[in-house]
Amino acid sequence: MTRSRKTTITALSALSAATLALTGCAGGGGGGSDDNVLRIAMGSPGEAQIRVWDQVAEQFEAAHEGMTVEMNYQDDDLYQTIGLPNLLNGRNAPDIYFEWAGSRLEQRVSDGFAADLTDAVETEPIAGLFDEDVFTSVTVDGTVAMVPHAADVTNVLWYNKQILADAGVTPPTTWDELLAACDTLDAQGIIPIASGNKDLWAAGNWLAHLASRVVGEDAYAQALSGETGFSSPEWEKALGYVKELADHNCVNESANAVDDNEGAQLFFQGKAAMHAIGSWLVSWAIDEAPDLDFDYVNLPAMPGAGDQDSVIGVVTGYVVNAKSSKQDAAAEFLALLNNDENVQAFIAAELTPMALSASGGEIDSRSADLINMLETAPAIVLPPDTGYDLERANALYTALAEVMGGQSSPADALAGIDQKLG
Amino acid sequence: MKANRAVTPYLFLGPALLVFGFAVVLPVAMTAVYSLTDWNGYGSMTFVGLDNYVKALGDSLFRDSFAHVIAYIAATLVLEVVIGLCLAGLVSARRRGSLWFRVAIFTPVMLPMVVVAILWAFVYNADFGLLNAALEAAGLQNLQKVWLGDPSTALLAISVTSGWVYAGFYMTIFYAAFNQIPSEVVEAARLDGAGEWQIFRRIKVPMIRSAVTVAVLLCVTGGFQGFDLFYVMTNGGPYGATEIPTTYLVKSVFTFGNVGYGSAMAVLLTAVVVVVGLILARFNRQRPEGARS
Amino acid sequence: MSTASARPRAGRLLGLLTTLALIIIAVVFFFPMVWMVLSSFKTNSDIFSAPFALPTSIDFARWGEAWEVGHIGQYALNSVIVTGASVFAILLLGAAAAFAFSRYRFRGRQLFMGLLALGLLLPLQSYFIAQSTMFTDLAITDTRLALIIPYTAMGLPLAVYLLKVYLDSLPDELFEAARIDGAGDLRVFWLLALPLLRPGLATVAIFSALACWNEFLLALLYIQDDSLKTIPTGLLAFSSRYVTDYGLLFSALSIVTLPMIVIYVVFNKQIIEGITAGSMK
Repeated sequence: MTRSRKTTITALSALSAATLALTGCAGGGGGGSDDNVLRIAMGSPGEAQIRVWDQVAEQFEAAHEGMTVEMNYQDDDLYQTIGLPNLLNGRNAPDIYFEWAGSRLEQRVSDGFAADLTDAVETEPIAGLFDEDVFTSVTVDGTVAMVPHAADVTNVLWYNKQILADAGVTPPTTWDELLAACDTLDAQGIIPIASGNKDLWAAGNWLAHLASRVVGEDAYAQALSGETGFSSPEWEKALGYVKELADHNCVNESANAVDDNEGAQLFFQGKAAMHAIGSWLVSWAIDEAPDLDFDYVNLPAMPGAGDQDSVIGVVTGYVVNAKSSKQDAAAEFLALLNNDENVQAFIAAELTPMALSASGGEIDSRSADLINMLETAPAIVLPPDTGYDLERANALYTALAEVMGGQSSPADALAGIDQKLG
Repeated sequence: MKANRAVTPYLFLGPALLVFGFAVVLPVAMTAVYSLTDWNGYGSMTFVGLDNYVKALGDSLFRDSFAHVIAYIAATLVLEVVIGLCLAGLVSARRRGSLWFRVAIFTPVMLPMVVVAILWAFVYNADFGLLNAALEAAGLQNLQKVWLGDPSTALLAISVTSGWVYAGFYMTIFYAAFNQIPSEVVEAARLDGAGEWQIFRRIKVPMIRSAVTVAVLLCVTGGFQGFDLFYVMTNGGPYGATEIPTTYLVKSVFTFGNVGYGSAMAVLLTAVVVVVGLILARFNRQRPEGARS
Repeated sequence: MSTASARPRAGRLLGLLTTLALIIIAVVFFFPMVWMVLSSFKTNSDIFSAPFALPTSIDFARWGEAWEVGHIGQYALNSVIVTGASVFAILLLGAAAAFAFSRYRFRGRQLFMGLLALGLLLPLQSYFIAQSTMFTDLAITDTRLALIIPYTAMGLPLAVYLLKVYLDSLPDELFEAARIDGAGDLRVFWLLALPLLRPGLATVAIFSALACWNEFLLALLYIQDDSLKTIPTGLLAFSSRYVTDYGLLFSALSIVTLPMIVIYVVFNKQIIEGITAGSMK
């Protein structure tokens, strides 16, 4: 059998050589290309906004002979996890890409993927489009790393005015009021708060905000950035409140089995009195349930160490790839994106840009209130999955989902986090 | 046949081997290499030896995922193979045509798993799905559950869906195997006064032993590789109750970027599948039975 | 004898019962699919409030809407292209390889046969991670090639195995006679072996086509561009965007499902023969 053994050995060595050669190929990329294509990457903003982007792209191409714009809309979950890193490190990396302010932006800066835009925003072409204060949240190490586009309030408590009025409940502003509302509504066979938490972030963001109100913003940030662990009496107290939500049947039983779209449906169809989700609900609800009379309250005040008026929110915008060879063109594109005409177009598509000219537009009063609330918030809490490391965020989300679903006790859930994070 | 030129067989074989080698053999080797590293897919690769394997064996989520997939396999052995066997027995006991029935039961096998998953996710929907609605209509509200959201029912729910899809497949295999049994044997038994159920138990099933072992082999190895249904219906939820090795693998690599760790788990999973498959295949070959085809 | 006269009556009753059982079982099995098609003609609120009621009107406009809005035509086209190319490659490469294994003796024959046989047992998990990073490096992700290559590779082991079995069963004299007539290797393959393999090729074609058409994991990982998605991932994308409109969703599912059922009913004889032949290995 020596002949076949020799063949086997030769085959295996060739294989190993090929493997090593190919793995050597990895980790090279990240270069932009030198052609005349301006590449822009983001998640999926919805049909209405996509149309506006297409318009902006056309305007840019018309103003820049020979250049074309290529839009890349990825699946949201993919983009947020490995989609963007893969794009940045691959062939034809984007010249402009969507990001959230927070630790993600800091990572891009330290990895060398965020161009310094300080000049671009102080002088042409972006100067004058924004209020200067707006850039503080996107400044990393003294340099402006991102051009803000919109701000999300990640979670508030939306309520159906009619249902609450009929049930004799006022929108809750304290924790006790919230529990009492749950009891009343539950007794009447109405789901108090709808949530579609299959992907863990929908209720995760809400409950993380709740936890931050109890443990304090600093402790929250420290735990999520890895400076401290999660096993502390304060965190256990915070999760204890989550358990009370479960005890009072505040959330629909199916919360952990249905995704955020279905959770919203429960609210749109009047099966639930309240819905804990972010500021993007406004345009969606206007589309889906035009007869729905709804408004919001910020998370009710919790007994705890945090600032009870804190808002959970995040600034989002667009980063210019530091490795791109078309950074000037990219800056011009971003200026075009935020000019008066396009800002109004985005407002019509139910997005409220942060540019100065947005205040002249016709924004839904609820959206305007939300922006105001975010801008005047005494404290801002960053959402776990966009403000911090994804694995830590996921561990926290899982623990919160377990307690909300009555699956684990607060102590067990917290122990689970530390175990998962090693 | 003797080839005109010595290189000819290689020319025929070459293209297939090239594609297979490039797309399967090479990646298998590379996965083994990756499993010894700490790598996020694009940055620098650090060699860590067997660390990933140690971590995987100590990872309770990974161990649990194996427990889940084994439970799933056990359930599908009943829901797919046993039910398929019974259906085949039922159909072959009739003397008249049953093609319409076999076509109907086999149809779900043709559907893309995504369609099945979306459809059945709706059936199991706690708020307005078919199952709970049917229970309500039958006055059995107390049996209503959040099928895909309750850790105690989610895995079973997915298994039932899988059974709905594949029972027809196994029924077809067994029906064909029953047809291979010489009709004299069955006729003789009938003349002797044996009932159909007795014929089924004592004659038909034992005589198709090889088909049964093939079916078990397919069901078991197929079960380990399951992904589509689980990903679309629950993606490992609720609380990881339906996390199976493949979904956990995919998350590690494609959500958290742990290529090295995911590769180690892939190697372990492969080892299990190959070993189990070989054992079952050897079992099939060792058993001599009546109608050897 | 008493048994002889009692049997026909009992036999008829039993026959009736089994027929009834079969009908009930078939109805239960088919119910979800029938329900899905019927529900595609209802509005959301009807589906929620009266799930078991029949639709008030059969209006195919929703199906048209689902086709348009859901880019189903595009997804179907991609599936056809990917499946067609893969099946063609599987048949051609597989037949050639089977021919080599079956009709020739050469160095490495056992090794390569073993390699391909291993492919029968090897699960997708053992190579898709590395395959994914490899394709990313070679920049073929988000191209149809990223699916055609793996689908071909995955379909080859079974194809080669089945076709080799077919070829082995052919008498040597057939090939020797062609040789004596002066035919070169290529002619023997093309003009003699392939036509004789027709039933085997048909079986392999049907099964590979089914596997490629329904493949999900690789399609999910390799294709992000919506315009290149195949039906399984396209449907998933559609379902997550329109999860709130069940009537539309079911319309899309129905459009995809009905042709497959029709094709299956037409080809069911070949399909069933293929399974039985394959399982009798």
